[in-house]
Amino acid sequence: MEVKILSARFDIADANKLEVAKKHGAYGTLEKLFTMEPAEVTEVVKASGLRGRGGAGFPTGLKWTFLPKGLDKPVYLAVNSDESEPATFKDRYILVRDPHMLIEGIIICCYAINSHDAYIYIRGEYIYQAKILQAAIDEAYAAGYLGDKVLGHDFRIDVTVHRGAGAYICGEETALLESIEGKKGQPRSKPPFPAVEGLYGCPTIINNVQSIASLPFILEKGADAYKAYGTEKSSGTHLFGISGLVKKPGMYELPLGLPLVEVVDKVAGGVRDGRTLKGIIPGGSSTPVLTAEEAQSVTLDYESMAAHKTMFGSGGIVVLDDTVDMVKLAENLVHFYYHESCGQCTPCREGLGWMLKILGAIIAGKGKAKDIDLLLELCDNIEMKTVCVLSAACTMALRSYLNKFRSEFEAYIANTASAQPVM
Amino acid sequence: MADTIKLSVNGVEVEVPAGKNLIDAVAAVGIEIPHICYHPALGADGNCRMCLVEIEDGRPPLVAACKTKAAEGMKVRLDSEKIKKIQRDIMEFELINHPIDCPICDQAGECILQDYYVKYDHAPSRMRVPQVTKGKKMDFGSGVVHDQERCVLCARCVRFTRLITKTGELGIVNRTDQARVNIFPGRPLNNRYALNVVDLCPVGAMTSKDFRFRQRAWFLTKSKGICHGCSKGCNIYIDHNREKYKDDIIYRYRPRHNDLVNGYFICDSGRMTYKLENEKRLRVPLAAGQQVDLESAVNALKRRMDQADKLVFLVSPSCSLEQMRAIQQLATHKAAVLSGYSEGYIQKGDGDDYLIQDDKSANRAAFALLGIDESKDTLTAALNEADLLISFGNDLSLSGMDCTALGKTELAFVGSYANNCADAASYLLPVASYSEDNGSIINIDGVLQRYGAAVVKNEPLPSMLQILAQLGGAFGDVQAVWSDLNSAVEAFNKVDLQNIPAEGLALTVSEVDNVTA
Repeated sequence: MEVKILSARFDIADANKLEVAKKHGAYGTLEKLFTMEPAEVTEVVKASGLRGRGGAGFPTGLKWTFLPKGLDKPVYLAVNSDESEPATFKDRYILVRDPHMLIEGIIICCYAINSHDAYIYIRGEYIYQAKILQAAIDEAYAAGYLGDKVLGHDFRIDVTVHRGAGAYICGEETALLESIEGKKGQPRSKPPFPAVEGLYGCPTIINNVQSIASLPFILEKGADAYKAYGTEKSSGTHLFGISGLVKKPGMYELPLGLPLVEVVDKVAGGVRDGRTLKGIIPGGSSTPVLTAEEAQSVTLDYESMAAHKTMFGSGGIVVLDDTVDMVKLAENLVHFYYHESCGQCTPCREGLGWMLKILGAIIAGKGKAKDIDLLLELCDNIEMKTVCVLSAACTMALRSYLNKFRSEFEAYIANTASAQPVM
Repeated sequence: MADTIKLSVNGVEVEVPAGKNLIDAVAAVGIEIPHICYHPALGADGNCRMCLVEIEDGRPPLVAACKTKAAEGMKVRLDSEKIKKIQRDIMEFELINHPIDCPICDQAGECILQDYYVKYDHAPSRMRVPQVTKGKKMDFGSGVVHDQERCVLCARCVRFTRLITKTGELGIVNRTDQARVNIFPGRPLNNRYALNVVDLCPVGAMTSKDFRFRQRAWFLTKSKGICHGCSKGCNIYIDHNREKYKDDIIYRYRPRHNDLVNGYFICDSGRMTYKLENEKRLRVPLAAGQQVDLESAVNALKRRMDQADKLVFLVSPSCSLEQMRAIQQLATHKAAVLSGYSEGYIQKGDGDDYLIQDDKSANRAAFALLGIDESKDTLTAALNEADLLISFGNDLSLSGMDCTALGKTELAFVGSYANNCADAASYLLPVASYSEDNGSIINIDGVLQRYGAAVVKNEPLPSMLQILAQLGGAFGDVQAVWSDLNSAVEAFNKVDLQNIPAEGLALTVSEVDNVTA
């Protein structure tokens, strides 16, 4: 089932070094790139069907076309490497094992959108990864792939690595821009969208690491070669991070469209012996959980996930077996989003803490029957009333736990009730 | 762009001013979109989410009204069940961690949470878990005391220090419900406009050390006034109250919006000048150094004037236009030398490029329009000859002249505030101050503004105009002065007293060209 497109050089020793990477094909597309018109590059990316790999799945080539034409402002590229969604661990492999694939992708993207300054916003905890990435960038400068004249062409590209300070919210694209600008990482109200008014008030394209890293293959082999993988609306391959209670957790590159349960069983070895599948979080902690039953019919692509009222997300698959306490899992999840709420707007700032405390009360044996419906109502009251979708990431997931595993919450509360003295 | 646009609110077409956001646009026709963080002087931030409205046929259907420009043909819906529920929900979120300590909160009575709870929420609390606790009574400096628990994180205060004073002392630290407004360690509020954050704060999180716990807001009468602290003439509310068995006392000044003069704010030192109205006031009339009743003092001074060989009138640059004109008339009538010398009111270099002016007098611009001499030479030359100097509120000691060493010149003082000059006077006539009187002043930018009497004392002092009439002046009241101004002073030929706009009248530049700063 596994394929080696993005991960082709992952298993080659020292592929993070330019010499090794180059021997195995890195920067091979640049000769071709500079013979093309920027618009042609965009067309190829559009034709490939590549969708944003950060989680939202917005078509990458289409995003580029939103840049206003004929502006006298510079265009910026911001590469989102703030990989912080719980259960997501794909971009770090690119950063460490094949950073030159990312740099090559950046050159391709910059050329297509006529940008000369790219910022890689890397999550603060990725210290080791940032060092390797910076070393690769330094090598690329020294070799003339970056700098005033990329490969001798009259095209300047400067790449700056900007380390975050540990806030999940800085993976939200406008909070990311605020953070690069040196401000507190808080999302901006949209519109204006970054493609029109982004970094330093200039048009900005923000793409995920994996999206950018997919570009060299698409440019080298063509859109059709990429579309040969995956489904019609979800083309290509994806780096899936499979974690949770499986025998072989890890990062696996797979074409899109494979049956979820089959992947869990065959690629990740399935749940441990003697246990049964309880549910699967399909694409990072913010995606609504699938029950074991629902998971049977799901395939790993955007359409199937949407049809099952969940999301493809970031490829971070968490497998839950029958030993998992869904109430405690829900509390763990809400705690994360509560802790990471930037505190800017009211519903998220106040609401997530309230929900967390209610869940804590339920676990502590102080829950009331109406708490479940209160939590569900709070999900509705918070969701989509906020500046960004951080709170929705929490409420969509929490709602799925409450609805699909309600009996577990009720059991906690029933135990509470039986423990109460009879009045 | 057209000056107005048409849009529909709740299905009713309204015509609103163009170029504004939805909140301000529909507010102009009397429709309220509830909002907490938005303030017209600070721009839209969009953090409170109270102003979410539905735009029919819009994309996205739900928008923050503060961030959305009113557009021709827009269909706004505020009365749908969905919007009403959002307003209730936002209020619930604002209140779950709010201490609801209204009984001991200074903001009670003028608090947006109270007002909106009544208007938009009215739901009982569903909060059964412990509230977030934060810092209380934190001294932020410059007379500002902060309560983090009452704070709704609207960031108005933070934006004020960034956008208006550009001093940036305040920030919001921490995330999630631990977010709180704070100063940097050891770096308190340090700007001359800091107390505006108290007015800006929609709740009781920012309180004034000077005002807190002194009065309940609902007891205060909020009268319009004009600050006399400098030559800017900022518009204020004079908040005063007469407690049982006590006198009518001013408790605070607050800024009153006027785009022609001060915008939305006032400076801290001007704000504190309310104390001069309550304290250090002249009360006891003097005649020839003896305490007498007012009538006797007026008569005594009138006799003394009649006996004088050489008479000098000294007028304060903070007198109202009407007072100045009446003094000028009396001076002419009595053949007195009239001087406006008041160099000491000007504190060179104290002003800034915002509201605070070097000139701490309120009405110097009127000197030039009335042709009142301000030179030191004229005054000193006249004093050499004079045997009686009558100062109308002018504290000559400010300008470096010793009022106790005027030689053979006897000193009379007609004014409101105790000062060195009044102390040295052998004739003293206390009069109503500007907060108890009405009049007009012209600010440094040539804006003519009217003010009315805000405070009525238990034992009211006479106005300076009444005293002037009793001393032999020709004008009995403001109307009489204005008839004269209209006919005799060119600058006021076309000014109709009854039709001076509430925000003031900008006199043409040429008329105030020669006003010294």
